[in-house]
Amino acid sequence: MARLELSNVSKSYGAFDAITDVSLAIEDGEFAVFVGPSGCGKSTLLRLIAGLDPISDGAIRIGKDDVTRRPAGTRSVAMVFQSYALYPHMTVYDNIAFPLQMERRSKGDIRQQVEKAANTVHLSTRLKDKPSKLSGGQRQRVAIARAIVRKPKIFLMDEPLSNLDAALRIEMRTELTQLHKELGATMVYVTHDQLEAMTMADRIVVLNGGRVEQVGRPMDLYHKPVNRFVASFIGSPPMNMLRGKVKAIESEYYSFEAPGIGTIVIDGLAERLKVGEEVVLGIRPEFLAPHPAGSEPLVKIGVVPRSVERLGAQTIVHSAIEAQNFTCIFAGDQIVEPGRELNVYCDAANIHVFDAAGTTVSRK
Amino acid sequence: MSLRNSTSGPIKTVSFHQNWSAYAFLAPALVILFLSLLLPAVATLLMSFTDVSFLKPTSFVGFDNYIKLFNDTRFQQAVGNTIHYTIGVTFPTMVLGLLAAVALNQKVPGRMAFRTIFYLPVLTSLIAAAVVWAYVYEPYAGPLNGVLTRVGLPPQPWLQDPSLAMNALIIMAIWRDFGTAMIIYLAGLQDIPNDLYEAARLDGAKGRDIFLRITVPMLSSVTFYLLIILIVQTFQVFGAIYVMTQGGPLGSTETVVYQMYQTAFGYTEFGYSAAMSTVLFLTILAFSIIGTRIMRRKDV
Repeated sequence: MARLELSNVSKSYGAFDAITDVSLAIEDGEFAVFVGPSGCGKSTLLRLIAGLDPISDGAIRIGKDDVTRRPAGTRSVAMVFQSYALYPHMTVYDNIAFPLQMERRSKGDIRQQVEKAANTVHLSTRLKDKPSKLSGGQRQRVAIARAIVRKPKIFLMDEPLSNLDAALRIEMRTELTQLHKELGATMVYVTHDQLEAMTMADRIVVLNGGRVEQVGRPMDLYHKPVNRFVASFIGSPPMNMLRGKVKAIESEYYSFEAPGIGTIVIDGLAERLKVGEEVVLGIRPEFLAPHPAGSEPLVKIGVVPRSVERLGAQTIVHSAIEAQNFTCIFAGDQIVEPGRELNVYCDAANIHVFDAAGTTVSRK
Repeated sequence: MSLRNSTSGPIKTVSFHQNWSAYAFLAPALVILFLSLLLPAVATLLMSFTDVSFLKPTSFVGFDNYIKLFNDTRFQQAVGNTIHYTIGVTFPTMVLGLLAAVALNQKVPGRMAFRTIFYLPVLTSLIAAAVVWAYVYEPYAGPLNGVLTRVGLPPQPWLQDPSLAMNALIIMAIWRDFGTAMIIYLAGLQDIPNDLYEAARLDGAKGRDIFLRITVPMLSSVTFYLLIILIVQTFQVFGAIYVMTQGGPLGSTETVVYQMYQTAFGYTEFGYSAAMSTVLFLTILAFSIIGTRIMRRKDV
């Protein structure tokens, strides 16, 4: 296992900059998740680490070694592909054994290592089968076994669960987290699913347009997003965003005028805003309540539910304020009638304020 | 119950109607196939049990033609020549086609031009190509011997020496056919997911291992298909031999189909030639069935 360090890594395809000046350190044994929307460069960054594509600028270090110019097979990294990339003409045994065969290990050693890896992923009884005979989850396990059998310094996983059905995805999520604990391995995991990122990561790297937006622990990203992009990407359903203006500033109290809501008073903002400055106010759906609750000052917002989703444990209410979607999450047994206006309440301390550039206005 | 009753009627009507449409569309092709393939095949089979020669009254001879065939040393030589030609053409064609396909599947400059150049011989007329190659092999003025002489090697009677003539024909066939193998292998190569190569590279595999452990096995269906196609095609070689050697020297390039032609149209022994044709047909059919079964098993 080893530390992974990216220094000013960039990747361009002609005039298109896929990755721009990414610097990042992933600690030994850490489970880091690259997350972002399609086309944000997360898979490209993974491929650069693997050595499958050459970088245009910067440096990559694994442990003490500078691997920037080293070919893929010599970096001591293993990768699990989205498609699994199992060799269809080989049995499960040969698939797992392939990396060891390439190292010209002895047959006895290979057998021992393959059986151990197969045991770890609960595939000992399927070693003679071809991948076509296996289910999606089992194929995924073969791919993982092929990765762990090499004992690499870094594990790279490119959306490994995206081809699985929802139930299996949850099961494999737990298994991968468990496997990470057992192996104590440094893992870099790519996903577009923020839920996977939140549940599995020690640290999340949020990417957008080839740049790192924020790096942090899941709950830090959730509570303290550095900008609007991270705030709306982390959390599901996404954070409600309301346009507003600074109406007045009195001591530590900021009054914001938000069309469709009225005046909202927030205190404790660390940065100075100017009266008349345009802002965006962000409120997470789960911090809205149908009754006054929490500490003062409370913000009251009137909404007309357009649709109500009852999920059992939760009731999700969809409405709109000034043509912007506005979502609330209530307890499962909350009665809400579509079309009938209701007031929802939010602790002002839970409202995020973003300036016109989308950067979070920090709090004291 | 009511649902079943309400749906069973219309489904049957649609199926019946669709079948009629299908048969109507198939009919012209089926008629042509019947007239051009099945009818002559049955006629040939029937002819093989007679001594038809158009020079004397025809009589039924039972299995006499087949018994004569299996004791005919000239036929045995023709079978040997055909096998020699088939093996000589098939395997080098496949190996060269595969190597060319692998090379031209890379992002090398001018690969489209090379693909076209390698495929051009397939598009040329066989007779025209055979005439050109007959000139290339010409013992006195031919360019091949010209090159040999220039590098200090003795000129060879390529098409006049019984030990060289068949190999000379094989070289020409490889030149003509490897473009087909290359195109089919190229299609097969482009079907191999890039992920497999990337996984193999990450697993530490290098060029030779990737080629032998990934590329070649992943092309096995294409290889079997090509093998069957080339065997069937080379078993029926005629044109090049007719133009370049007429089966000589000393019968060294006389193949089964050329002998069939000679027997029928040279010696007017149509019944005997029909027996040869039937044996050839059954041999090719056997190869096709075996090949298809192997391919089907591999697909599973």
